[in-house]
Amino acid sequence: MDEREIISDFVIESREHLADIENQLLAIEAAGADMDLELVNTVFRAVHSIKGAAGFLGFTTVGQLAHDLENVLNLVRNRQLVPDATVTDVLLRSADKLRAMIEDIDHSNGLDVSEHVTALQKIVTGLLAEPIAPPAALPPDTAPEAPAGSDREAARPSEAAEAAADSTAPPTSPAPVAPAAAATRQPRPGTAKATGSTHGAAGAVPGATPITESNVRVPVTVLDQLMNLAGELVLSRNQLLQTVSSADHAALGSVSARVNQVTSELQETIMQTRLQPIGTVFGRFPRVVRDLSNTLGKQCQLTIEGQEVELDKSIIEAVGDPLTHLVRNAVDHGLETPEARVRAGKPAAGTVALRAFHQAGKVNIQISDDGRGIDAARLKEKAVAKGLLTPEQARVMSDREALLLIFRPGFSMAEKVTEVSGRGVGMDVVKTNIERLGGTVTIDTGPGAGTTIHVKLPLTLAIIPSLVVRCAGRRYAIPQASIRELVRVKASEAATRIERVKQAEVFRLRGALLPLVRLDRALGLEQPQEAAAAKAANIIVVEAGHLRYGLIVDGLCDSEEIVVKPLGRHMKGCACLAGATILGDGRVALILDIAGIASHCQLAIPEEDAADGPAADSVQETQTLLLFSNHPAEHFGVPMELVARLERVRTDRIDSVGGQQVLQYRGGTLPLLSLEQHVTCKARAEAAKVYVVVFAAAQREVGLLVPEILDIRSVPTQIDTLTFREPGIAGSIVFEGMTVRLVDLHEISRKAHPDWYDSQPVPQSPANAVPRVLVVEDSDFFRKQLAGFFEAEGFEVQEAEDGAAAWNALAEAETRFDLVVTDIEMPNMNGLELARRIRDDGRLGDLPIVAVTSLAGDDEIQRGREVGINEYHVKLDREQLMAAAARLLKAQARRALAGSSA
Amino acid sequence: MNAVVAGQAPAKTDEVELATFYLGDALMGVPIEQVEEINHHLDLTPVPRAPACVRGVMNLRGEVVTVIDLRTVLGLGPAAVDRRTCNVVVRSRGEQIGILADRVGDVVCARQSAIERPPANVAGADGRFFRGVFKLEHGLLIVLDVEQVLAVDAYPPS
Repeated sequence: MDEREIISDFVIESREHLADIENQLLAIEAAGADMDLELVNTVFRAVHSIKGAAGFLGFTTVGQLAHDLENVLNLVRNRQLVPDATVTDVLLRSADKLRAMIEDIDHSNGLDVSEHVTALQKIVTGLLAEPIAPPAALPPDTAPEAPAGSDREAARPSEAAEAAADSTAPPTSPAPVAPAAAATRQPRPGTAKATGSTHGAAGAVPGATPITESNVRVPVTVLDQLMNLAGELVLSRNQLLQTVSSADHAALGSVSARVNQVTSELQETIMQTRLQPIGTVFGRFPRVVRDLSNTLGKQCQLTIEGQEVELDKSIIEAVGDPLTHLVRNAVDHGLETPEARVRAGKPAAGTVALRAFHQAGKVNIQISDDGRGIDAARLKEKAVAKGLLTPEQARVMSDREALLLIFRPGFSMAEKVTEVSGRGVGMDVVKTNIERLGGTVTIDTGPGAGTTIHVKLPLTLAIIPSLVVRCAGRRYAIPQASIRELVRVKASEAATRIERVKQAEVFRLRGALLPLVRLDRALGLEQPQEAAAAKAANIIVVEAGHLRYGLIVDGLCDSEEIVVKPLGRHMKGCACLAGATILGDGRVALILDIAGIASHCQLAIPEEDAADGPAADSVQETQTLLLFSNHPAEHFGVPMELVARLERVRTDRIDSVGGQQVLQYRGGTLPLLSLEQHVTCKARAEAAKVYVVVFAAAQREVGLLVPEILDIRSVPTQIDTLTFREPGIAGSIVFEGMTVRLVDLHEISRKAHPDWYDSQPVPQSPANAVPRVLVVEDSDFFRKQLAGFFEAEGFEVQEAEDGAAAWNALAEAETRFDLVVTDIEMPNMNGLELARRIRDDGRLGDLPIVAVTSLAGDDEIQRGREVGINEYHVKLDREQLMAAAARLLKAQARRALAGSSA
Repeated sequence: MNAVVAGQAPAKTDEVELATFYLGDALMGVPIEQVEEINHHLDLTPVPRAPACVRGVMNLRGEVVTVIDLRTVLGLGPAAVDRRTCNVVVRSRGEQIGILADRVGDVVCARQSAIERPPANVAGADGRFFRGVFKLEHGLLIVLDVEQVLAVDAYPPS
């Protein structure tokens, strides 16, 4: 073992010693005089070990700081000192310094620690000045353990001398130490030489290389499991070789199945070795919150849930900074001052809650505060003041869009720039970093109602689901995380639907302009014939940051889980590529960097052009449907808003467990539904591959098996809700000569799994035992759908087919409603008029109103806001709608509470 | 870690083994310790917007390996691939990289002290890529400086 290795071990070990020191110190502080002595001892021993090893290895400065830290801890241990906030601060800061030195151990001897040493020594001497306290003798057990015999030991001030200095001349004590530290700066020939030789042999980067970061602790059980699997793999290989040589085709199938199974298990187990609990990141937040609320004069309680949730090591490492930023934001911007909170009828101490949990194969992290929330109107003012928006843009911008402003570079939420945050380099970096990890960030907020930031992360980075596409004869992989939807434009329509705006191609997708990028041109590939316009176009709608664009490719191959491999150093300059992967046939496919392509093509959102385009010429309401057939003769449709994504799977991957079909999928189990089991229709034919329409129901993902996808089309919403009505079918439309039945995904999932819907929390209503909602919508189909959503969530629903009927219902109601959900375009009385009347009515004045619409133009949203509509949502966007309902009810309840206490 | 950087062979033997290959008629060699394998595996995936010297990437037993066109590096124009074209896989700075050559040669034993400084203008290319030349019975063996050949910064993206 050479010296370098010893040092590296020292660093790893010291890191482990210091890993939890913050929370331990905070716990000691919190317990006050009733502190847990065992905990104090743990901290003491950790610091003591660092001191000993540092002395042995010649890291005198580390040794010295550890020594003084140990002295204070010893007083605590002997119950001579109960650390208050000041003492804890000094201890924490010294521990920080110690950690910083250990992270850069090679330069630690050159650092100045006198500030920390003086502060620590002051604590010791301050206590010594009190006559009652006995002299602070060094703990007897340190002497025998102190490293002896090292030739460098002499350079370090001996403990006895230091102890003497402590008790005699405390204020100047750093003086004798400093020259000693200086003297030891050079004499580490062993280390220097070791570094030099490593450098020479490996030809590595000059200077001190980072010592570790490549260690993982693996439970022995997992290792055993790996060993077993490796054994099985060897057996399977032997079997495979034998079978291949005997040319036994029947046996080959079973052997390959076995290899397949062992490989998947091996992959999973190896992945496990990389998993670490998120608690390692969460652990630092009690300290962050404590320090910050002290600095800001706020009171804050931190609750942490789900520390045990595990994530890949590389993600854990990368997610620390973004999360810290979000937590700091919550305390700094989110929480009000205690006085302001009391004025608003809230408890003086705010709460910041951190929560981690698994959902749908992803890890969700929520950072919520019960503070003032984000005021969209103020965000807009701020954006205008900073010149990020024109007043005109701000006027027509919806609240949800306005919230996204905080992710723009150069935008700071703070009213005044504080030391803590508000330097304007925050949320955009947070968003970029989380998206780089394949994750997403969303905000849920309302004025006075607190803010919740949702961060969704993949479990692992090494293997990602992706879509393999074809372009210029080659295959490329696009991470599914960046894909929003796929659009195919027929050859006959390509010329009309793909427009040109100032040289750039754009595509009109549901009223919005989508900039297009031809992948072959972005990559500088030559296509054999320039016949692009005459061909059907496959557009992959992708999103990078807040930029959404369409990528035109030649064809789609498959949806695959790919193993990400880095590209070599020669390709570092290729901004369009994120890496490479090896496909099933052994060939390499390159992984596209969606953000890189956007910046390479200098894409910008064609904002000015979006306004004057022919967007608003269609007044008739339409609905985008995914059309499919279960049996070739029968057509069905589901609203696209409900579809999370489409997958194509081999039918032999579908397992049947206890009479239910499931798919092993992204590390979890996806329950599958077959249409013929729940509605009257012909059974689907057996096929080698089927599509799975993945949708969210009852807070989980569910898949509907579909043998054939026909199209995705915008259809008029004249829906016949009578002819084919049955549970699971919401209605039917006649479209281009075929009858399409609309499948009610929620109803069939409820039919298949009634148990899922049992334990759903009902939103609390301030006025009623069961919250009451009035659903106003002229289309029977949409009204039934909306009513269904709310009933499923435990609401009592009353329906009205237009504004006039709604107004009557409101006037006649014996018990008041908690919420009105209304369409805008309706006969007799439209939604805007209804909202205006509600707001003008003294009794109903503050009733929350949510507008649902399938064409939410900015102008319309603005008009809606003027008459007092609280929120706008897309029809059938169930999740958003329910979140809005819960949010508005909560705010209402809070107001009611504040009103009654005032 | 006892990999020996070219030109720094253990002093006591003074012998260096060179894996050789041809580029046209020119015989070139690299110290055998740097070579991981030589194969005829040429199923390459071209990399768009990569430097001109990057011929593509390939799957070498599960690793994605960059393949460099030595002819392009030396300014001789892109190599024409035929069935004798070989891929000399070297390890450099922890990364496996393939170097395309026209055909593979023998392993040659050379005395370190007999390697001379390269004459200017060898093979019509820049001298910085060569460590030296070694006289064989029937001609010259040019000893390549692998690190120089693989130096990234020297080749701006095409």
